[in-house]
Amino acid sequence: MEAIGVWTAALATIGIVSFLYKDNVLYRICESVFIGTSAGYWFVTYFWDNLYRKFYLGIQDATDPNRFFLWFGVVLGVLMLTRLWGKIGWLSRWPLAFVVGATAGLYMMTFFVSNAMRQVGATIMPIFRGNLPAIIDNTVLAVGVFCGLVYFFFSKEHRGLFGRASRVGIWILMITFGASFGYTVMSRMSLMLGRFDFLFGTWLGILP
Amino acid sequence: MRKEIPQFIVLIAGVFMAMQFFVPHSYSQFLYRYALDWLIIIGIFALALAVWSFIRVSYEKIQRKADNWPYAVVSLAGLFTMVFAGLWFMGGLESYLYRHFFSFIMIPIQSTMYALLAFFIASAAYRAFRARSLLATVLLLAALVVMLRFNPFLGPLGEPIARLADWILNYPNLAAKRAIAMGIGLGIVATALKVILGIERGYMGKD
Amino acid sequence: MKRTMIALLLMAALTAAIGRAQENPAVDPVPAASPPAPPTNVVAADSPDDPGRSVTVRWQVSADDGAGMNNVIQYKVFRGEAAGGPFVERGVAPSRATVYVDKGTEAPNDPNFFPNNTDLFYKVAAVNVAGETAESEVAGPVQAREQWYNVGRTPTFIAVIVFTAFTLYFIARARKKADLYIRPLAGIEAVDEAIGRATEMGRPMLYVFGLGTASDIATIASVTILSRVAKKVAEYQTELIVPCYDPIVMTIAQETVKTAYYDAGRPDAYKEDSVYFVTQSQFAYVAAVNGTILRELPATNFYLGKFFAESLLLAETGALAGSIQISGTDEVAQIPFFVVACDYTLIGEELYAASAYLGREPKLMGSLKAQDYAKAIIIICAVAGVAASLFGWTWFVELFRVTN
Repeated sequence: MEAIGVWTAALATIGIVSFLYKDNVLYRICESVFIGTSAGYWFVTYFWDNLYRKFYLGIQDATDPNRFFLWFGVVLGVLMLTRLWGKIGWLSRWPLAFVVGATAGLYMMTFFVSNAMRQVGATIMPIFRGNLPAIIDNTVLAVGVFCGLVYFFFSKEHRGLFGRASRVGIWILMITFGASFGYTVMSRMSLMLGRFDFLFGTWLGILP
Repeated sequence: MRKEIPQFIVLIAGVFMAMQFFVPHSYSQFLYRYALDWLIIIGIFALALAVWSFIRVSYEKIQRKADNWPYAVVSLAGLFTMVFAGLWFMGGLESYLYRHFFSFIMIPIQSTMYALLAFFIASAAYRAFRARSLLATVLLLAALVVMLRFNPFLGPLGEPIARLADWILNYPNLAAKRAIAMGIGLGIVATALKVILGIERGYMGKD
Repeated sequence: MKRTMIALLLMAALTAAIGRAQENPAVDPVPAASPPAPPTNVVAADSPDDPGRSVTVRWQVSADDGAGMNNVIQYKVFRGEAAGGPFVERGVAPSRATVYVDKGTEAPNDPNFFPNNTDLFYKVAAVNVAGETAESEVAGPVQAREQWYNVGRTPTFIAVIVFTAFTLYFIARARKKADLYIRPLAGIEAVDEAIGRATEMGRPMLYVFGLGTASDIATIASVTILSRVAKKVAEYQTELIVPCYDPIVMTIAQETVKTAYYDAGRPDAYKEDSVYFVTQSQFAYVAAVNGTILRELPATNFYLGKFFAESLLLAETGALAGSIQISGTDEVAQIPFFVVACDYTLIGEELYAASAYLGREPKLMGSLKAQDYAKAIIIICAVAGVAASLFGWTWFVELFRVTN
């Protein structure tokens, strides 16, 4: 059984890699199998994890007197299914509205704190502390944040001094993207080596 | 009514979820916890709906013998096999078939796809090298500096390049990331506000 | 080898011992002979900003902690429901500590149950090396209470209110004054051209949300962009393909596209199958979308939303297929790949602004203005903060420290 497994895995690996050459039958088979099995996999996983464990077991947990509140989730879920019947399909907007509204409210606060408040707090720092190189570094950091923010101004024309700051901003953004790109290039290479290790080592046994 | 009720639900759910951030009281925590559970439960019904859409689209393809319809058969077979393997009498999540399909089909394809990134990144790098604009050149130079940091064959040049790379990562990089993060924070809050207040409702449907 | 290791370890231990002795030459740890002095001034108070179930106990260290006999190794915190006891040990704090937060659960059957609104009494015992203890006087009564408002989050509250007020104000103002300036965004200006191109070539357009779920505001922003794009697509009578990763996003997207076709006056042209579910597995989704790109050869690909490792796989395939590509995400780590492989990239906040740009409705533009003012305030705060730190005004910096 293990042998069948390793062979299937190897054929799947080759099939996917063959995409680099061009779209072909083997790739399409791998793709279709992958799509089908993964859709089934997640359906089964969520069914057991969410519907069975969260709801079915949760509703039977006698130690929780408020467990009947879980039914409300099921009611919303069933409303979602009304999409399948054209006439009452509009009812499915209720659960959607709940999802969108709750999400918007929740993440509005979390991101406001993590992305706005905390970042401003981190940026406010004594620039003129330490020796000259440290002062220069801190100034670069402060000016960088300033120009970066200026770049994101939408309702003011990027002209004159403002335009120049915005220009510096986009330069700093590009330097950052370059650095991040370079960093990832190096790390991705090791992933590919890992796959070759499987093909030539585990499967073919050529590698020691 | 068909439009007003959903908008009202959005408003109530949104305002509550935003306000519970400031209310530590157990009533608020209680509702918050259940709201998260409801989201999870709604998710599984939505998934059922999505899988139904998948089956219907594939089935229609097969029925009208559309281009490449045999692949739709393969997809459906994969789906049904997996669902069958995960049924209770097969052992649910502990089912032998279910776990082996995962290890021998999903995992290798997944890691190969991930490994393909190396090739794609190479071709993307090539694309970046041909870049003609000044900004693209700036990006490329920064990328080169950071890539060379890991290169042991640079001899005496190695040290200054490594220092430059570290400086880029510690200062301009941090500055830009902060500016981007603040912008995103404001963008998220503004978008969320527009959604909650019903100013942005393109997603909500008509009639 | 082994001997060298042992020698090294011994040397390290010796150095550390000498170091310690030099740090504290006056106080020699005395072997335990008698119980240590007890901690003093024990105060128990309800922990702030929480749903109760917690009391914070503070004390002053024992006279034998860091001084005197210097042999206190920890403090034990006890709780009782009457001043006379019985007391139960609730936890320990290391030597030199002066505070312990006693927390528990709300489940009455839990051994760690913590009652709210009940009189509680605390005492703290210093424990020395020999295990001898000395108990403080009893502090209390104190009650754990739940709060309706988290005082520590007041700065965040004020900031959110100000931002909301800004947004509402500028929306109201934009409604009166229609000609609000907004700077051009190349990615947005390319949308019309891209749709025109698709129509001319008779090829479809691909719209990808990435891996975002309905819980990502980036996805919601992308949905609002889709509603504008779909309306134009309907007007031009081009084909639109929207493969989805998340089931709820699929449902929302179907609703959105359908609405857009209605708005464009072409409800009959809407095809239910144009927005479809693929799978919830990251790379299976990529495999499918990549296959679609190579087979359908879309004239334009939109990648807007939340993207992870798949960003490059999709964008490179699209570039190889010769599609015009417009991308945008708030995942900072993925923006570089989009910048390299796509024709236009919306960076971070630009993604959130895009829908207002495409819609050109005054109320949406007003919110852009509010975002700009918020940025201006951030800049002013940062500059003021630098100045404040020059004068040593730490309270100003404290305003931005968000407590939990």
